[in-house]
Amino acid sequence: MSAPLLEARSVSIRFGGLKALSAFSLTISRGDLKGLIGPNGAGKTTAFNVLTGVYEPTEGEVLVGGERVNGKRPFQINRLGVARTFQNIRLFKQLTALDNVRIAVLPETRRWFDAARVQALKRGGAAQRALGAALDATDNYRDWWRAFLRTPGFLREEAQVTARAEELLSVMGLSHRKDELASSLPYGEQRRLEMARALGTRPKVLLLDEPAAGMNTREKADLMVLIRALRDRFDVGILVIEHDMKLVMGICEHLTVLDHGETIASGDPAVVRKDAKVIEAYLGEAPAHVA
Amino acid sequence: MKSFLPVLAALTVLAVLQLVLGSSEYFVYLASLVGVNVVLAVSLNVINGMTGQFSIGHAGFMAVGAYVAGTTSLLLKDDQLSFLPPAMSDQLFLLLALLLGGAAAGAFGFLVGLPSLRLRGDYLAIVTLGFGEIIRVVIQNSDGLSKSLAALPGLAPVGRFVGQFGGALGVSGVPQRSTFFMVWFWVFVLVLLARRLSDSSHGRWLKAIREDEVAAEAMGVDTTSYKVRAFVVSSFFAGIAGGLFAHFVPIINPGSFTFVKSMEVVVMIVAGGLGSTTGAIVAAVFLTLLPEGLRSLFLKLGGGDASLAQKVDQVRMPIYGMLLVVIMLTRSQGLFGTHEAWDLWARRKRAGAKA
Ligand SMILES: Nc1ncnc2c1ncn2[C@@H]1O[C@H](COP(=O)(O)OP(=O)(O)OP(=O)(O)O)[C@@H](O)[C@H]1O
Ligand SMILES: [Mg+2]
Repeated sequence: MSAPLLEARSVSIRFGGLKALSAFSLTISRGDLKGLIGPNGAGKTTAFNVLTGVYEPTEGEVLVGGERVNGKRPFQINRLGVARTFQNIRLFKQLTALDNVRIAVLPETRRWFDAARVQALKRGGAAQRALGAALDATDNYRDWWRAFLRTPGFLREEAQVTARAEELLSVMGLSHRKDELASSLPYGEQRRLEMARALGTRPKVLLLDEPAAGMNTREKADLMVLIRALRDRFDVGILVIEHDMKLVMGICEHLTVLDHGETIASGDPAVVRKDAKVIEAYLGEAPAHVA
Repeated sequence: MKSFLPVLAALTVLAVLQLVLGSSEYFVYLASLVGVNVVLAVSLNVINGMTGQFSIGHAGFMAVGAYVAGTTSLLLKDDQLSFLPPAMSDQLFLLLALLLGGAAAGAFGFLVGLPSLRLRGDYLAIVTLGFGEIIRVVIQNSDGLSKSLAALPGLAPVGRFVGQFGGALGVSGVPQRSTFFMVWFWVFVLVLLARRLSDSSHGRWLKAIREDEVAAEAMGVDTTSYKVRAFVVSSFFAGIAGGLFAHFVPIINPGSFTFVKSMEVVVMIVAGGLGSTTGAIVAAVFLTLLPEGLRSLFLKLGGGDASLAQKVDQVRMPIYGMLLVVIMLTRSQGLFGTHEAWDLWARRKRAGAKA
């Protein structure tokens, strides 16, 4: 059995006096579709932020593909194969839908210097670090000059990026919007554009923060079907945050329930929904959800 | 090669203009000034417009380019590549000087870019402003500096180089090699590069930083590295502009690279629309010609009395200020917003194809 794609081992995070997340553990493997639920302020978004490197855990560790990523920057964790959407949509508003997705797609540039070797150099002594940085800079600026000169190789890569982005827009049913500004899209389409953008980074794990928020019941049901389809089509592991317990029950194969930063239940949805602590946490907030 | 067609067309147009108007000194001077300002505006737009950072010390980068390129040419004034016609050898030396000036400015851009990793908005603005002023003050006191440098072991050549800066008096006698053709050739090349940058993955990553840094980072954009790169490229361009400037004005002195000059460039890109290369060009042309127009107007009003015309320089900043206020009130996104003339053209073409 290989290491899970994404794993949190007893992760805690503290904001001043507030323990927003304590001893949070979770694994996501290929093909998983798991849910993370809990009332307002339970720490769900915080959990995403820790998993994606926005915050560094105060205790515990986060592993991507078996590699410890504590302290790595969000862009580095993303490159390792973890992509996310945001609860309060964060699109590049003044750019077109196509550009939003193209930004996420990394061109397959052949580098002059082997990336792994350069990384190894950068971990060495001062002279090696300097050499590593110089090689890195050379490659980076060479890349800019390829863009300036529009070399055939560069144009080919750019065309691949555009084709990939268009494909993702079409999967999410947004092809007709590709030249429109992200900010001008209706709410539901903005949510789907965010998912297309996250998929652009070719993730192995996709984290969706309340993708159904603000949608009506019908739209929500459609979205859940879409999420499952994405899992199968892109062969990713998915973790969904959702407020509406009923909705999440329908598609998730595993649930983790948070309340005040504590994991109060975790496991099979049918079992979790009968858990006394879960019922209490949800009763305290909105009984309708459990019904 | 399709991508070389515009270059050929531009070269032809420039050559014709050079032949027809090259002998009119006033035209050449004005056109060169416009060209330098266009390059400055387009380059600042990479930082402030595309990347959404706020730099207001651009005159500093221009000064570095001007002094390094100007001094290089001054020191190599009498050298010739004997196997080439003199004019061509001169232009090769100019190219060398410009590239050195651009590289030096780019190196400073790297240093100034580093704080941009930690600072945002107003704070970054203050750092860049401070940088611009430091450069100017250092040049103003370059005489003393050159003596101190010359005393240090191994730095004697640097000291001699800095000694040429001439303190507050400035450098004169730089060979006048920036022809109309040369200046506008660079304008064309750098505008083309800016446009190509904007329309590539690299440019899109810069814009992603402008739009939402957190989201950009989450989508795999190395935001810190890209902010520094924006500074490096932008200051390289500004260094070239400074180098060109040094080769057509009779004298370069610290007075040409004050805070007022930096603000002038900021006004240009804000008025043109932050993020729009087209807007930067249009505003740079207009705002360079405006004071010249006013000067000739006042000269007429004063019946040939120059004292009135000299006032133009004093009222220039208030006029810019008022212009900016008017533009912000009527069209807060600037003349072009983040759009480009070529985008509008492409959109029309698409609309035409649909109809
Ligand atoms: N950067 C921060 N600094 C201080 N406190 C924070 C920070 N981020 C989150 N918190 C706090 O941590 C707690 C958990 O917040 P979080 O956003 O993770 O909740 P959530 O489960 O996503 O809730 P919701 O359903 O409302 O989105 C809240 O009390 C919040 O105020
Ligand atoms: Mg949340």
